[in-house]
Amino acid sequence: MDFSRVELSEEDKTFYDEARTFLKTHVTEEVRRRDRETGDNFDEGLHLAFGAAGYLAAEWKPHSEGGFTRVRRRIWELEKRRAHVPWVTWGTTAMVARSVVKFGSAELQHEVMSGVFAGQLRLCLGYTEPEGGSDVATCKTRAVRDGDVWIINGSKMFTTGAHNCQYVFLITNTAPDAPKHKSLTMFLVPLNSPGIEIQGIRTVDGDRTNIVYYSDVRVDDKYRLGEVNAGWTVMREPLNTEHGAVAAAPDGMQDNSIMMHQAGSMVEAVDRASARVTQPDPSGRRLLDDQSVAYRLGRSVARMEAALSAPNIFGRVAIAQTMRDISPDLMDILGAASALSLGTDGAADDGTAEYVYRFAPLVGIYGGTLEVFRNMIGQYMLGLGKPNYSPPLEKTS
Amino acid sequence: MDRFELRRLDYSLSDDHVDLQTAYKQFFKTHCSIETVRAAEPSGFDKNLWERLCAMGATTMALPESRGGDGATLVDLTLVAEEIGRSLAPVPWIDHVCAARLLARLGALGADTAGVANGEQLAAFDARIDSAPGVRLIPSGSIADHIIVRDGSKDGAVVRLTFGTRPAKVDNIGRLPMAWVDPAAADTRAVVGSGADALAHYQRALDEWRLLTAAALVGLVEETMTIAAEFAKTRYTLGVPISTLQAISHPLANMAITVQGGRNLARRAAWFLDNEPDERPELASSAFVFMAEEAAKAATMAVHIQGGLGVSAEAAATAYLVRARGWPLAGGDPGASAMRVAEIVAARESALRGARV
Repeated sequence: MDFSRVELSEEDKTFYDEARTFLKTHVTEEVRRRDRETGDNFDEGLHLAFGAAGYLAAEWKPHSEGGFTRVRRRIWELEKRRAHVPWVTWGTTAMVARSVVKFGSAELQHEVMSGVFAGQLRLCLGYTEPEGGSDVATCKTRAVRDGDVWIINGSKMFTTGAHNCQYVFLITNTAPDAPKHKSLTMFLVPLNSPGIEIQGIRTVDGDRTNIVYYSDVRVDDKYRLGEVNAGWTVMREPLNTEHGAVAAAPDGMQDNSIMMHQAGSMVEAVDRASARVTQPDPSGRRLLDDQSVAYRLGRSVARMEAALSAPNIFGRVAIAQTMRDISPDLMDILGAASALSLGTDGAADDGTAEYVYRFAPLVGIYGGTLEVFRNMIGQYMLGLGKPNYSPPLEKTS
Repeated sequence: MDRFELRRLDYSLSDDHVDLQTAYKQFFKTHCSIETVRAAEPSGFDKNLWERLCAMGATTMALPESRGGDGATLVDLTLVAEEIGRSLAPVPWIDHVCAARLLARLGALGADTAGVANGEQLAAFDARIDSAPGVRLIPSGSIADHIIVRDGSKDGAVVRLTFGTRPAKVDNIGRLPMAWVDPAAADTRAVVGSGADALAHYQRALDEWRLLTAAALVGLVEETMTIAAEFAKTRYTLGVPISTLQAISHPLANMAITVQGGRNLARRAAWFLDNEPDERPELASSAFVFMAEEAAKAATMAVHIQGGLGVSAEAAATAYLVRARGWPLAGGDPGASAMRVAEIVAARESALRGARV
């Protein structure tokens, strides 16, 4: 058990200073403003700057292959959060690149990986379907073989970042009559292929995601990842990471659960509210002097700290649930001016709590809903058995 | 505070921690069955169990080596507290070690209190934050040899009281050896500290009590959850175990999340009190506020899952239900702890941001 400050070597101190300077230089107010306006959670200029400076490769590669040491990786991760670096598209890119390296042909790796490290190539996830919801295995998007190419038809929801990416990591159904986990094949589909249409959708937190339509999209077999009908195996690895089903490292140099990045907005809301309640109004009265304010603030802090403490899959549920539970209280404490969003004149906490309130529903959905994870805790941690559902409806049409 | 500061985030237990945890888990498993718990309810205290526990070193461990103790860390103590909660052990260990440590910090472990270190004499204290003067409920007041309270005077005196005849136990939902104690009626009254320093030491005892009570509630919730889960796996409705129904499994999953979050929070709070006490003083109360609220909800759900069998006075589930409420409540309204958390965090954040807002 250890929560101490990490003592840095001279070299690591230099790295730390360089990283902070780099982020200060490149993550400008303009980058943040554009991010808010587009909801892209991605900035191409910034991303290319990261690539050119070698940060993308260093972050992705293990230390043995020239990547960051554990301590530098952690510094970089924390400082990026401090600087509010847009994160979603690099997140999906890094995740999918693992599957490309593990399951892609040498030719495909050659085509993709140097561009990924340079920042020019970005990869997104084509998992969820309009009718599928959280169960990625209920895939209706079809891929049919035609000689050396595959013809893909279907549609995918929540392909976040597609409009800023060059490839989509796509789940397709190649054996509609097989059991669902033996029917899937994965492709890395070039997004400039004819027949692909990307349609933007804004979500309530202000971000942009996409629905992507695939109409007779022809994809060369070289873009297939893994064996035909073995897509479940290929997908599992990034999915495990996305679920947070990975053990904590004993050196304490990483988050103890996934979603810590998202939790950052809740932490910021709590800290801002805590500062705000001590400011006297013109009559000298502080919000904190009202015991109902102090109680609600203290309870919110307590619940947040518990959520931040919960490990791995427990933590991800705790964080998403707690964001939902405490953001209304934080807003209530700050009063009507907490209804004003970021950048609005007189916004109580610069719109932080109201953002958490709008963001929390997404955090409890993407990468699997809260129910998926409660199922997993029940089944695998408590041994309660597989959830029992009523039998499927007979199709009448 | 700087939430992006480079600190380790390592919650793992050392081999020594695991050995300690295993030893106490085994101790209570052997010596504190649910029948033992029930048998102690009239008095709220199992003297035999207490003597065995003290013989194991559970009280001396909590004192610094300079006071003849074994210098255990608060992290160590949370591990013991969790096992006390798991087994519902009818022993006032948390009250005693917090009071004994307070006396040690005040330099007030002398000839009169020679039996406190090894638990031959029991020490108790008023665990309320917002303690009012006059007659008050003390969680282990009916069995204590020494009762420590703040006397409410302006100079902030902390006094140690003794009673020739111990105050009478009052029945209570926590099944604690609780008593109404009138400081004015004590037979002896020794001032053991006064002024801001003494009150700060007393505050630390209040924090430690909340921390260890939170840890005990973690063990309590985990055990009642486990009992309910085992029941649900073997109870069938319409041909399926009720554990496979999400209306049952998801509340159980929520309890598991409470246990995991509360446990790690208590340990992190303990680590900071051990190593950097001024850095995160809000965490001990945070763990308490969280567990005080969640323990009652979890224990109620655990009863509910077992339905008509769960509500029976003989069911283990009801033993957990009453203590889940009664143990934290012995320290007064948990809302007072929430307000303390808010005061600490607000002071910290306003000091940091004051110049900017």
